[in-house]
Amino acid sequence: MTDLLIIGAGLSGLLAGVWARRQGLRTRIAATGLGATHWHAGTIDALGYLPGEDAPVRSPFAALTRLTAARPGHPYALTGEAGLREALAAFRALLDELGLPYGGAANPDENLLLPSPAGAPRPVYLAPAAQLAGDMSRPEPYLLVGFQALRDFYPTVIAENLTKLGFRSRAEFLPIELITDRRDFSTIDLARAMDSADLSRLANALKRVAAPGERIGLPAILGLRRHGQIIAALREAVGAPIFEIPTLPPSVPGLRLTTVLREHFERDLHGRLDLGMTVIDFRAEAGRVTWVASRASARPVRHRARRFLLATGGILGGGFHSEPRGRVWETIFDLPLTAPQKRSRWFRPDFLAPEGHPVFRGGVRVGPDFRPLTLAGEPAFENLWAAGNLLADSDPISERSLEGVAIATALAAVTSLIKTDV
Amino acid sequence: MRMLETEVLVIGGGVTGVGVAWDAALRGFDVILVERRDLAHGTSGRFHGLLHSGGRYVVKDPVSARECIHENRILRRTHAHCIEDTGGFFVVTPEDEDSDYPDRFVQACAETGVPCEEMAVAQALRREPRLNPRISRVFRVPDASVDGFQLTHATAQAARQAGARIFTYHQVTDLLVAGGEGDVRVVGARVFDAVRAEEMEIRAAMVINAAGAWAGRIAGMVGSRVDIVPGKGVMIATAHRLVNTVINRCKWPSDGDILVPAHTVSIIGTTDVPVADPEDLRIEEWEIRKMLAEGEKLIPGFAHTRILRAWAGVRPLYRESAVTDDRDISRKFTLLDHQERDGVAGFITITGGKLTTFRMMAEKTVDRAAAHLGSRKPCITAETPVPGAEHGPYWLGHRLREVEDGRLQNQLICECELVTRGMLENAARLNPTVTLDDLRRDVRLGMGPCQGGFCTYRAVGVIHELKLGHGVTPDTEGSDWRVADLQSPAGNPGRGRPPVSAPEPASSLADHLYDPNLLLRDFLQERWKGVVPIVWGQQLKQEQLDRLIYLSIMNADHLPDAGLKSPLSDFYGVDVTPNDVLEEPHD
Repeated sequence: MTDLLIIGAGLSGLLAGVWARRQGLRTRIAATGLGATHWHAGTIDALGYLPGEDAPVRSPFAALTRLTAARPGHPYALTGEAGLREALAAFRALLDELGLPYGGAANPDENLLLPSPAGAPRPVYLAPAAQLAGDMSRPEPYLLVGFQALRDFYPTVIAENLTKLGFRSRAEFLPIELITDRRDFSTIDLARAMDSADLSRLANALKRVAAPGERIGLPAILGLRRHGQIIAALREAVGAPIFEIPTLPPSVPGLRLTTVLREHFERDLHGRLDLGMTVIDFRAEAGRVTWVASRASARPVRHRARRFLLATGGILGGGFHSEPRGRVWETIFDLPLTAPQKRSRWFRPDFLAPEGHPVFRGGVRVGPDFRPLTLAGEPAFENLWAAGNLLADSDPISERSLEGVAIATALAAVTSLIKTDV
Repeated sequence: MRMLETEVLVIGGGVTGVGVAWDAALRGFDVILVERRDLAHGTSGRFHGLLHSGGRYVVKDPVSARECIHENRILRRTHAHCIEDTGGFFVVTPEDEDSDYPDRFVQACAETGVPCEEMAVAQALRREPRLNPRISRVFRVPDASVDGFQLTHATAQAARQAGARIFTYHQVTDLLVAGGEGDVRVVGARVFDAVRAEEMEIRAAMVINAAGAWAGRIAGMVGSRVDIVPGKGVMIATAHRLVNTVINRCKWPSDGDILVPAHTVSIIGTTDVPVADPEDLRIEEWEIRKMLAEGEKLIPGFAHTRILRAWAGVRPLYRESAVTDDRDISRKFTLLDHQERDGVAGFITITGGKLTTFRMMAEKTVDRAAAHLGSRKPCITAETPVPGAEHGPYWLGHRLREVEDGRLQNQLICECELVTRGMLENAARLNPTVTLDDLRRDVRLGMGPCQGGFCTYRAVGVIHELKLGHGVTPDTEGSDWRVADLQSPAGNPGRGRPPVSAPEPASSLADHLYDPNLLLRDFLQERWKGVVPIVWGQQLKQEQLDRLIYLSIMNADHLPDAGLKSPLSDFYGVDVTPNDVLEEPHD
């Protein structure tokens, strides 16, 4: 029998799968798709801004007290600083092992600032090695190199904004033919083409446009499978620091992250991952979930397990649904949500409101052991846990805590569910 | 101060104003038109897109009905490419059965000359399978779907070709008056150029007030009282084109009884709420609920369809006497010659009416102006196709076909609406661009399901590169551009490779206001404004993806110069009652 059935294959679901499998649990993941990881930048955002504050957070750990004072139910209040540190370190060690190394600021307590594809400083805690040379605390001037045929990356905008922020920056364009002859492509197509492209042409072109001492920022398209070798070879051939800047989705860095985790779970750890398996129903007996059912062509298929981990994400991931009157609900267990259940209370006037919008902060409340709670504050089910961005009292997009929350709560939930005898 | 002189000064860049400018220029007058924002920013761009057959008015307002069918036939020739020949149905739903309205409707159609033919319900359902199968009668009329942006732009372009000068982002701050007691004459206007931030004076022999819902304010500048009752109407667009035919309820006109297929979406409208201020475009929750509930009567399941957007427009209803219900104010247009009416010479107001009858309104207005100025030529607008009409009627698939034909040369900047880089660059070169919303009206940027999620950043990048001389499409400056081409990928052949060596500064970008970060913020907020009233379900997920892009990936809330504002930044503000949002969500 399955020890643990994880519902959701976003960052929290995949990591929980890896960590549970490594602890010896017979683990399955059932999910509709791969969550939001491949839409984001591939970075690990732990805490970038405190609610309503304009200045970026310097140290996510030092800022935790103020965050949890403002949002007492925040997932970080449950994991604590130690839990967050432990999870981020475990993530970093895992990705080193999987050959997709992540790095951070020189001071391991602090965030990095990396240029966004609009040229604004993104506060992130860990970034793929390929993005690290963009670190805004480094002295080299920026050369942003783009391809005019690529519609998802605009180097002149980045250069102008970095210049306004006081960084020496300029932009250049190269012909896309250095990478592909196709005319209709996404960033992922380009990354695939890079895997087999003749790098010397691109390297020579970069050498021609770069001035001595500059660091070169490219759109994040430098290979999928051979990413590590490609970036090393380009740096070697050009003789300059080269780094990637994330683009509009789909995200090549996000896809690389999803891919290594998924392959590790399935291939190395022999875990089972079923995509296209949307869970729509469940049965509980005597306070325990006995099965969940997924949509199938003839009739729903039931999946039994000892333990269940809900990691379906919030509104973005598809774990919540909503309707015109303002009801927001969790789609499988109809767990109580903290989201305002009146549409007139969902939003603030500004799209970019620094406090975020109340509807996106609503979520599932869990106890200290990461089991979802009923309105009375009791565990909803004895053998159901929850992790990731469906948790209450966090607006990960405003806070820039998307991956931090996913990673820290995945580890905490797995730790808790392993300890619990079921 | 800059000074200009002309014979006819038209105030208002809606379809009526550009129609007047076009007509007057064709008759040989020297014409200047001023519009305080972009063309069709007001009511001409905020309606449901119905080109009336007149059917809606046959019973209650037969004069309007006759005008509508007359103009409907003309516009199909002169503005063919702005109109999709969808035809229209008037359907009797179960709610409307116990009424003698359908029979009166048939009778009134015959009396007013609006072609109307009853058809079998089964036949109507074959054509429109989503239609409520419980309808009992269907009448077919020559309604059509019309693009108000294109109609206005194409007419403006025709006016330019006839010699008119059209200045957008020029707001009239005062009317210039000569003479005194008993011999007052309007001799021009003081105008504020919002782009250059400078004042100017335009002297004119005749000033025509075509400011629509704002006409009362303009007339008030010379003490003439023009009672406009701005009637606010709310519309919502569905993410899908639910019908291919205009669907009307066959009943006394009311809220939410028209469903119009418009490009890839369908639009239901509308409410009618008198408002004190024509800028009051607030959308109330009951209005949305009403549209969904009424839509359900026409299309079962309508209330569960994905909604893209809501907007409001204000009808310029002219109040002749005390009338209690807005809808009972005539939709006939009103021409006020202030010399006769108030003893103010050189000043005419044209207001009321319908988009469908704009050409006729312009004709009567210029007839009157010409009588004062000394007539030259007769009106020829009914026989003069505007540029682009040679393309023939609009067809839904035209962009896709052109994009597929020209796929190798064109980048799709807005995938929802198939806007290519070439279309965007040419629109930005040719029309004054203060906000991306101006380009939206030109090329439909950001009007699809992602509501600007992907194309806002791309458009900002494309405009920025253009500004720096890195445009990738050939500059058509100097050649005679056509509005139809703005809408057409084929009219904008891309070269694929950048002519990086030859900077070509784009003259039409509003230099003093240009800032890529401001363009980005303004457009995100403009799109948000129309999404907030209707966002739930799948569209709420979409908005969260858009937040992921602009907050998490772009960090667009921390770009430099966050304090900059465009002339429209405040207009894009969303009116949410503070009590509603300041409360914490735990309730």
